[in-house]
Amino acid sequence: MSESGIDGERRRFIAFALAPSLIVLFAVAVLPAIYLVVTSLTPFQLTNPGSAIDFSAPLRNYRLLPGDPRFVNSLIVQAKLSCWSVLFQVLLGMLLALLLNVPSRFVEFARTFFLIPMVLPPIVVAVIWKLIYTPDISPLYYAAQALHVTMPALTSSVDFALTSIVIADTWEWLPFTFLMVLAALQTIPDEYSEAALVDGASRLQIFWYVTLPFITPILVISGMFRLIDSVKAFPLIFLLTSGGPGTVTEVTNYYAYLLAFDTNEIGYSSAVTVVMLLLVCGISLGLVWMGRRREAMA
Amino acid sequence: MKNTSRTSSITRRTLLKASAALAAFPAPLIAQTKPFAGITLHGASFQHRFFTLLQKYIPEFEESSGMKVDLQLSAFPVYNQQANLELSSGGSAYDFVNVTFILAARWVAAGLLTDLDEFTSDPNLTPAEWNPKDFVDGAQVPYRDAKGATYGYSWEGGAMLMGLSRMDLMEKKGLKIPKTFAELQQVCAEINGTDGVAGITSFQLHHWNLPPYIQGFGGNIFRKPPGDIMPTLNTPETIQGIEFYANLLKSAPRGVLTYTEDQARQSLLTGRANIFIHSSSWVTPILLSEESKVKDTSRVVRSPAGPVHDYPASNSQGLGIPKNAKNKKAAWEFIKWALSPDISMRLVKEHGHSSVCRRSIITSEAYRKLNTVNGQDLGAMYLEVLELPAKGENYMAYRTVKEFPIVGDVLNKAFEQVATGQLPAKDAMNAAQDQAIAALRRAGTQL
Repeated sequence: MSESGIDGERRRFIAFALAPSLIVLFAVAVLPAIYLVVTSLTPFQLTNPGSAIDFSAPLRNYRLLPGDPRFVNSLIVQAKLSCWSVLFQVLLGMLLALLLNVPSRFVEFARTFFLIPMVLPPIVVAVIWKLIYTPDISPLYYAAQALHVTMPALTSSVDFALTSIVIADTWEWLPFTFLMVLAALQTIPDEYSEAALVDGASRLQIFWYVTLPFITPILVISGMFRLIDSVKAFPLIFLLTSGGPGTVTEVTNYYAYLLAFDTNEIGYSSAVTVVMLLLVCGISLGLVWMGRRREAMA
Repeated sequence: MKNTSRTSSITRRTLLKASAALAAFPAPLIAQTKPFAGITLHGASFQHRFFTLLQKYIPEFEESSGMKVDLQLSAFPVYNQQANLELSSGGSAYDFVNVTFILAARWVAAGLLTDLDEFTSDPNLTPAEWNPKDFVDGAQVPYRDAKGATYGYSWEGGAMLMGLSRMDLMEKKGLKIPKTFAELQQVCAEINGTDGVAGITSFQLHHWNLPPYIQGFGGNIFRKPPGDIMPTLNTPETIQGIEFYANLLKSAPRGVLTYTEDQARQSLLTGRANIFIHSSSWVTPILLSEESKVKDTSRVVRSPAGPVHDYPASNSQGLGIPKNAKNKKAAWEFIKWALSPDISMRLVKEHGHSSVCRRSIITSEAYRKLNTVNGQDLGAMYLEVLELPAKGENYMAYRTVKEFPIVGDVLNKAFEQVATGQLPAKDAMNAAQDQAIAALRRAGTQL
């Protein structure tokens, strides 16, 4: 058999071996996405079955979006939530990793303990924080009462509702950034910091000039993952605030949920979701491009 | 001559044979008493105590009818979404469904359900004693179309009543049970903070709790539902209702805006809040439930009347048959059985389930005995409120029009903006009116 024949056979074999998983991937990921886009081009309403195939004004939903104050507000709320939660998770995760990057039995146990929030089902996390934020039954409020401090109901306060979501989200996902940074820290050879110490560098200088350059790529990657994931902060919002008070914590995915499940505007909700999908894809591609550019410059 | 009479020739053995032969005849007749043998009936609803209790009796129905009942129960929002999709896509997966109160008008108007009059008007399908007129009229209103045809029968009624858990505190302060909005405001403010008790409790479904106040001041959610569904969220009366309820919640526990029904009920049952105005099944536990810590100091009464109207909210849930159901007669057989006077009475007597919708049951001696506590006839109050929407103007019509979810959602958000001081009531409701109109037009509603 010729060499090109073997290559062709190998390609056919690879294609044949990959086909089942590609078909499954197409069925579970690509088809629903296509259906979502198609639905977003209709005025589909559950109470009007015929509207599911009405393509007379395919861009109507998209034209309505910029003039919808709740959609615009939801994007702003989403941006605030994402920025603050990612910032806290990356900074606190790094701080925690630096603190626990020491060889000790106790610290090893503590590390395991810190992973618990991340492995809990999201709805369980939401229930835990619901208990913490409910004044009647919360230990936090009992403690405040004991100290004669009057605390507002965080989740129904205009000033604190979004902050309370950020805190809960940070608690849930801090272990992720902590784990990533800790893994990066453990790959740094000890010789570098030892050499810096011999040269008389302070702890802060060692962190700034030795450690930070090593862990920066990991900080960027974990930040990117969390940024994409922060768009999925649904259970917390659903259980803690229902998007309220008013629309103070109504992020885009919660608004899309209300449109689809409360008011049955499937077509319009699909358009909101498509825009959200494009934004997430845009952010992801932007971050990947930035990463590649950094590598090229290095 | 041998006179052998025929009768004398009938021996005991012959008689037995004849009897055996005769006994064999009814066999096909017995088979015919189970015309639904072999049918599996598929039904769906949301999880509710009624169905949990009904499932205990379903084996009896299966035994007598010969059919199997596959009843799927899901969480309320999940069920509504599933049923909405199934019915609006013309599916035939379900033989009977719960006709959810807030979806009833939509489903009836869209022709997604079977007209049940064809069953009730046929004496072969519905015996006279089943009596469709026995269902409280107010509970049946959502399941009728403009011509008066019936598409569902109610299995659950909700009637808004007022529970007071701390009459002891009220007596100490010389306060009487409030009968008007003004008195309610005063009692809530006076009690709030006394012994750590909140004046009133509520929960986050504002578009259920708020409309009685709006209507009490003479406002409404729509101009004249179901015919004219132009929102009326910024009329002076509506704004007055919004401001009143927002003020009322200043006497509520911290965080009341995010309270669930369970949280509100619990605050009443433990005496941490004095007043809760909600459906009877959420309020009467202060007198009936083992959990109640305030049985001796509690009262359940009609909710206060507004200066213009006395419109306590009420609702119901019904059972209906989808338009494209495969086994309509079998489904009717099930509905007929599940909502029969016998089963309704058994639910009351054996399980204390009081939110039935048959007048004959609610007014029965057995029901009255079980539902009279400390001299308070809870059944009479429940019936009185449940009947109200069918008397004169159907003031609950706003809630059963298909446009309500959209406007209700806008109302929820606007009220929270007022209650938290984000916007003055007038500004919030003007914005809400514009948003509601825009959302309705977006959804294809002609205004």
